[in-house]
Amino acid sequence: MLASLWNYLGVLPFFAFIIAFLIFPATNLFAGAFQDAKGNFTLVNIQGLFSPYILKAYRTSLEVSLITSVSGGVLGFFVAYAITMGAAPRWVRSSLLTFSGLAANFGGVPLAFAFIATMGRTGFVTAILKSICYSAADASQVCPFDPYKAGFSLYSTVGLAVTYTYFQFPLMVLVITPAIEGLKREWREAAENLGASAWQYWWLIGFPVLLPSILGATLLLFGSAFGAYATAQALTGGSILLVTIVIGQQIRGDVLGDTNLGYALALGMVVVMAFCIALYALLDRRASRWLRR
Amino acid sequence: MAFLEISGVTKHFGPDAGAAVDDFSLSIERGEFISFLGPSGCGKTTTLRVVAGFEQASAGSVHINGVDVSSVPANRRNVGMVFQAYALFPNMTVAENVGFGLRVAGQPAALIQARVAVMLELIRLPDYARRYPHQLSGGQQQRVALARALAVQPQLLLLDEPLSALDAKIRIELRSEIRRIQQELKLTTIYVTHDQEEALSLSDRIVVMNMGRIEQVGTPFEIYNYPRTAFTASFVGHLNLLPVQVTDAATGACTFEGTPLASSQPAPNKQAGSARLAIRPEELVLNGTGANRLSGRVLSVNFLGNVVRLRVRVGAVELSVDMFNERKLVLPAVDAQVVLSFPAHACWLMD
Amino acid sequence: MTKSRFNPWTWLWVTVATLYFFVPLWGTFDFSMRMKRGAFTFLAYEKVFADPKFLDSFRYSATMGVITVIVSIMLFVPTIYWIHLKLPRLRPVVELLTLLPFIIPVIVLVFGLIRTFSRPPFRMTQTEFTTDILITAGYVILSMPFMFRAVDVGMRAIDVRTLTEAAQSLGAGWLRVLFSVIFPNLRVAILSGSLITFATVVGELILADFLVRPALGPYMIVVGGGKAYEPAALGILSFGLTWICLGIIQLVSRGDVRLQPIGR
Repeated sequence: MLASLWNYLGVLPFFAFIIAFLIFPATNLFAGAFQDAKGNFTLVNIQGLFSPYILKAYRTSLEVSLITSVSGGVLGFFVAYAITMGAAPRWVRSSLLTFSGLAANFGGVPLAFAFIATMGRTGFVTAILKSICYSAADASQVCPFDPYKAGFSLYSTVGLAVTYTYFQFPLMVLVITPAIEGLKREWREAAENLGASAWQYWWLIGFPVLLPSILGATLLLFGSAFGAYATAQALTGGSILLVTIVIGQQIRGDVLGDTNLGYALALGMVVVMAFCIALYALLDRRASRWLRR
Repeated sequence: MAFLEISGVTKHFGPDAGAAVDDFSLSIERGEFISFLGPSGCGKTTTLRVVAGFEQASAGSVHINGVDVSSVPANRRNVGMVFQAYALFPNMTVAENVGFGLRVAGQPAALIQARVAVMLELIRLPDYARRYPHQLSGGQQQRVALARALAVQPQLLLLDEPLSALDAKIRIELRSEIRRIQQELKLTTIYVTHDQEEALSLSDRIVVMNMGRIEQVGTPFEIYNYPRTAFTASFVGHLNLLPVQVTDAATGACTFEGTPLASSQPAPNKQAGSARLAIRPEELVLNGTGANRLSGRVLSVNFLGNVVRLRVRVGAVELSVDMFNERKLVLPAVDAQVVLSFPAHACWLMD
Repeated sequence: MTKSRFNPWTWLWVTVATLYFFVPLWGTFDFSMRMKRGAFTFLAYEKVFADPKFLDSFRYSATMGVITVIVSIMLFVPTIYWIHLKLPRLRPVVELLTLLPFIIPVIVLVFGLIRTFSRPPFRMTQTEFTTDILITAGYVILSMPFMFRAVDVGMRAIDVRTLTEAAQSLGAGWLRVLFSVIFPNLRVAILSGSLITFATVVGELILADFLVRPALGPYMIVVGGGKAYEPAALGILSFGLTWICLGIIQLVSRGDVRLQPIGR
């Protein structure tokens, strides 16, 4: 008994650290969400979350996260499928995986800078697209591919989505590749042996087996976009009001006019994230049971 | 023409690679149980996969029931296959797995249900219909895989080392189960294995393979007792080899370190000179009355249960001697001098 | 079933992925070289390196990176070792805890840290030194999933329990086991975790910005707000740094780098 207590002493520093700098600050914040300025219990802040301004912030955040998790997820899946099941040579496969590891970690301010230099008003790709012109019948210059004349802006939700996709789809490649590799050759052969066509194999076995992994990975992508702050801040200077941006403004100065409402905002954010990650963990468990990773 | 006719099948993986299977020809009668036996990489699995349609042969043809299936895709050959790693579909229940072949063939649900019930009865797992593969043991999974392959009533059953991933005890149990089911359905079966015990106990005939080629085809009795090549002799069962000088090639007489020995067959190359005399450990008798006698010193005594294996040094070689265990058996002591004897018909000369 | 067939779909997706990877990088590089009208020069890079604020903020971030790595190793390696050795039943709990930074975004974490530690009785944001302690703690939390996973996987690979028992049966004491048996066998794992941690801290914006410390992230935001070409140069430099860190990991571990997305 004494010996086992002694054992627990060995992990005390770790737990003390986590509690002091993660759990305590977080719960302290969440407690604030249920308090008024004087520290009395209230649900006003939670109700305040349903004000149009805050609802709009949540909607924008959810929109960006949804768009980028689906676009990044679809692109990432096909890339992962191409490099595992397709006839891609080995070096293509390993270099794409390496670059995915790199790009999935390339976020924050530098990523925003890279996209401003590439797709911004005077960016590299913008300039190339702008310069594709021809003379119309009335001798005026027509440039059909000018993205900013066509309504595109890097500093909009769409621009943000394009930028996020830079780290989203490589993340999908990294997460889903082991799952696709987990599809056993014997399943395909057994299905074929029993008379199934390639299509029947995919519809009845391949896709259902991969589905939990695909959904789980998409949720991970969703969470990764939902919690992002630095890229959006550096790209738009805070003009797109994501939940993270609003929280940032709240820390800097009292934009909501109510600190405790800011705490509620943060709590709402964590609830969404916790929901995503919990569902991801659930799906991942099922996937690993099927795929025996 | 036999029911299954494999003629001249050759398989190269890539233009520069050597032959994985080299000119393989075999006729298999309806209802026969055939084993392909050999070390890993000998081409046995590749041959099986050519029959199943998963590999395209570089040369040669496969006829099933008189039909050339060489260009028929795997999903239209109606050949059942059981894989080494239980390849059950993880997203389906046992019943759905077993019914898969009928389902993709578009059979009505009622028929599928009835057939699945029959199959589960056959493999003695009638209560497992609603389980998922991950809830089953390895042995149970392999039974279900067998039922799944049989449910479509294939004209041919192929088993690719189906027991090698299982525990020893389950392996023996499932082995007799496979034989029982095969006999019950009178199903033509090819069984690939590297385990000689499995091949000997299950098969009507064994095909011993090495380096892509057939070494010998025969009944288990023939393969074990009358191996035609050195490879077969040493791969199937344990074999003692004595370096001898042939004195009379026609009668098979020879000498080992000066001791004259008699064998019943003529020397394979019909001339005098160096050769090897082969004899199985169980044919050597301690202090017996056989025509050939060799004396030696006991090096070790290993008790293996039903058999006791001695290592005996005779001149420059060590021989294995197997004795059947019995309660009254008197074991020789280590370092004891013993005389080994064996009859002339028990040994044969090899190059 | 032949594998060497040319598949146009494969090449389509490989091309799309390659373009998505490289066009922004090339675009940024190209842009960063065009500071002087009509010429291709490294002027933007020269300007960046000539700015004392850049050097100061880089030095600050690099220092914090090294400190964070040291604290992380001291905190996590013994803990994970102890759990593997004595408390394997605690492992799922600890693993769950180390995943918390996924659920709590950095912006929320910094909010919580400020609310908790800027007030009495702590008042940690009042001096630079105590703020640096706070920010280091934040960085350690932030990089916890990387460090934990790298070391945990490394420990599982070497079977610490058997190694420890073998060393002890040969007469080695606790410290000796840790320093001459466990650490040397975990070199690769610890190095991987350290490099990811370092790269994360150097590129981090949120903690430094809201705790008002002169780190590289806030500096880049300032440059991004006022200049055109220097940000592109900074973007290329950051990418280069990440590249070097992950490249070394790739080299020493000879495996694919699997990381997690936090702190953006």
